[in-house]
Amino acid sequence: MGRVVGIDLGTTFSLIAYMDAQTSAPKCIPGPHGSALCPSVVSVDRDGEIIVGDAARQRLLTQPDRTIYSVKRLMGRGVADVQSELKIFPFRIDPDSDNVIRVRLGDRTFTPPEISAYILRELKSWAEKYFNEPVDRAVITVPAYFNDAQRQATKDAGRLAGLEVLRLVNEPTAAALAYGLHKQKRGHVAVYDFGGGTFDISILKLISTTEGDIYQVLSTNGDTHLGGDDIDNLLRASARDEILRYHGIDVDQHPQLVQELRKALITLKHELSHYDSATAEGVPLSNGELFKKSLNRETFEQLIGTVVGRTMVPVRLALADAKLTVKQIDEVVLVGGSTRIPLVRKTVGEYFERAPHCELDPDEVVALGAAVQADILETGVKTMLLLDVTPLSLGIETMGGVVAKIIPRNSTIPASAQELFTTGVENQTAIDVHVLQGERELAKDCRSLARFQLKTPPGPAGLARIEVKFLIDANGILQVAARDMRTNEQHTVEVQPSYGISDTDIERMLEESIEYAEQDFADRQLIEARTEAETIIAATVKALADPRATEISSDERKAITESEAELRTAMLGPDYKLIRSRIDELNKATEHLAEVLMNGALQTAFEGKRLDDV
Amino acid sequence: MSISQPQKKRAEGVPVASCWNCKGAVTGAHFCAACGKIQPLPGGWDYFRFFGLSQKLTIDPAELEGQFHILSWKLHPDNFVLAGEFERNLSLERSSELNDAYRTLREPISRVEYLLEHLGVRKEGTTKQQAPPELLEEVFELNESLDELREARADGGDVAGLRGRLDAAAVNFQEKLAEVDAGLEAMGHEWDAAIDSGADDATRGALLARMNEVLNRRSYIRNLVAGVQKELAEA
Repeated sequence: MGRVVGIDLGTTFSLIAYMDAQTSAPKCIPGPHGSALCPSVVSVDRDGEIIVGDAARQRLLTQPDRTIYSVKRLMGRGVADVQSELKIFPFRIDPDSDNVIRVRLGDRTFTPPEISAYILRELKSWAEKYFNEPVDRAVITVPAYFNDAQRQATKDAGRLAGLEVLRLVNEPTAAALAYGLHKQKRGHVAVYDFGGGTFDISILKLISTTEGDIYQVLSTNGDTHLGGDDIDNLLRASARDEILRYHGIDVDQHPQLVQELRKALITLKHELSHYDSATAEGVPLSNGELFKKSLNRETFEQLIGTVVGRTMVPVRLALADAKLTVKQIDEVVLVGGSTRIPLVRKTVGEYFERAPHCELDPDEVVALGAAVQADILETGVKTMLLLDVTPLSLGIETMGGVVAKIIPRNSTIPASAQELFTTGVENQTAIDVHVLQGERELAKDCRSLARFQLKTPPGPAGLARIEVKFLIDANGILQVAARDMRTNEQHTVEVQPSYGISDTDIERMLEESIEYAEQDFADRQLIEARTEAETIIAATVKALADPRATEISSDERKAITESEAELRTAMLGPDYKLIRSRIDELNKATEHLAEVLMNGALQTAFEGKRLDDV
Repeated sequence: MSISQPQKKRAEGVPVASCWNCKGAVTGAHFCAACGKIQPLPGGWDYFRFFGLSQKLTIDPAELEGQFHILSWKLHPDNFVLAGEFERNLSLERSSELNDAYRTLREPISRVEYLLEHLGVRKEGTTKQQAPPELLEEVFELNESLDELREARADGGDVAGLRGRLDAAAVNFQEKLAEVDAGLEAMGHEWDAAIDSGADDATRGALLARMNEVLNRRSYIRNLVAGVQKELAEA
């Protein structure tokens, strides 16, 4: 048996952590660059190599059509579900997608669980290098508000990555777990988790019993499509309008520009958490002009006010379901990178009438909690217990398209319900059952989870008696078992999930993935060197095309072009050290050119070429 | 309160079975007294027994919650991750039963409904509604008001005035609901007393029938209130 880890598979960043036996505290595992944060970005090389993390994130700028970010937004969803996302995210959905989305990267297609599996494999390799031991089991976190299909997709991803998923844990609960260790608090806690793509609010009760501590979730609510990405998109839309108006360029026509702009705006957003005003780094436009977005905090807050406001709706609902008032909440915990935004902290603090806690790193806290739970499950020794809930009501479709709720939302899991089915007409041989999740009354307004058929021998109507047990397990995933009440025999049920990869397809994917063996150290170096080379070549080409580049001598231009050619040659080979030295040479050769462009840009800025009034 | 008590008087109607592991006698407890292994749910079980309670309707919420926490600690699948599949399934079965039982017993209304369903006096899922005779006039007026509101919306009549009337009616019916609930609670005490004094089947049957009737009326009133609130929410 290998080691056990806790993994936060996030929209923007993913992390892996373990329980340090010596300190009895959870700890995040750093990647090759020393950071514990692995960008949830995956890129496919022309050779078919898969690149994950920082290296992939750089490729968002150079090869946007082969690179994908925020794939978590696509997990467990169908093509129809993501149509609105496509307007603001550059997802290339393959037209052949059926009930599971297929995304195009380069000339290959992938399902979201496969892409997530690459991220998980990357983290797994970090841990294996760190421990110098294999890692084969993990606790993976999911947003509390994830539905059955989204959870199953996450489990599938774990499986594809070669990990036995011991448990799926809800992100706010994991954070509470990490936080509880730190603070030894008791009482009612609200966990406000505002990440890159999802928002969750969970209300918990922390109890001390003679045996140990119990973290009991009373209610949970959220929005699986509300996160920092939405704030980025607001900034992007505003920038796009400006660029169109003042520079006459439609940003959407230039995928690379979109990514550069995105990167600059994200940095701007981060700065505005620390300063009252900030200016983004200049983004060169195709007409040689430079776009520099400036923003002050006041305007920023006006811009994002509605997004932050949207988070408070699930908060109110969760409190109502927990039958608690704001005054009865003892502690508020902030989780997720987006909670660094001052407006968020202020809004949450005002609503709960207390200062929210953010002592623990909001990026790491979920992974740390997952590691704690992983440790409990590995050793079978617990000092604490998580009692979580199912976020959505489970129902079955009845006559007239109405949903009969059989397990209400916020039921502690595991939870079950029994339903008796019979035939409606004579000689009916199959009873159709449609299982849904959601709070609405009509099936068409709820989330289709699965369908199955109960086979029964022909006979008079109402004679068949088949009892179906619906069980939501500790992962929040549905299991179905049926029993023929007349014969008392188990009745096999083949459940067809409405969204997701079938078991046979997973098996096939697992077989195929063995062909793409783990990369060793040299391979990784090579890939990173090549990626960096691409970046600098792209920048060089662009710089040479810039109108101001005419200032440099033709000798210099020749030297640059030659250096670039040498680098390109080196890239084709397997020697990463050679590539790196050629990169250094090209950097030297373009030093003067860079200076020239920089001076020109400053001049342009000072000439009062208006970019932003505020 | 210990969970497995071999010396405890065997609950009536629960057959003695043997532990799947050590073959010792088990009387429906969560764990085998001899070897400590988790046991399958026996037939003839009910939510009250699950918590070691008799079928009485008055339950101290704090005590119930305490029991819930203790049982959760012992039965949760987290304890059985390293155990074999058979035991893991038993844990899943018992812990889901625990959660279902707690959810049901914790709210007074669902508690009564469950008892009546379990004793065959009420059929699960069928919510019979009975218009309380003393409220018939008010119900009639309410329905009239609702019709008038719908017409007024369509014809542009005095929506505000009608809304006011409906608001008052909703409040009125909410109060009636509270009265019904109080009545049900009182009946709950009657039931408990009957159990304690060993009342005969006829007495208990009559009590159950009365409670069933009250539940039906409650259903009716609740639906009325929900209907009014829905209508009011629309304008």
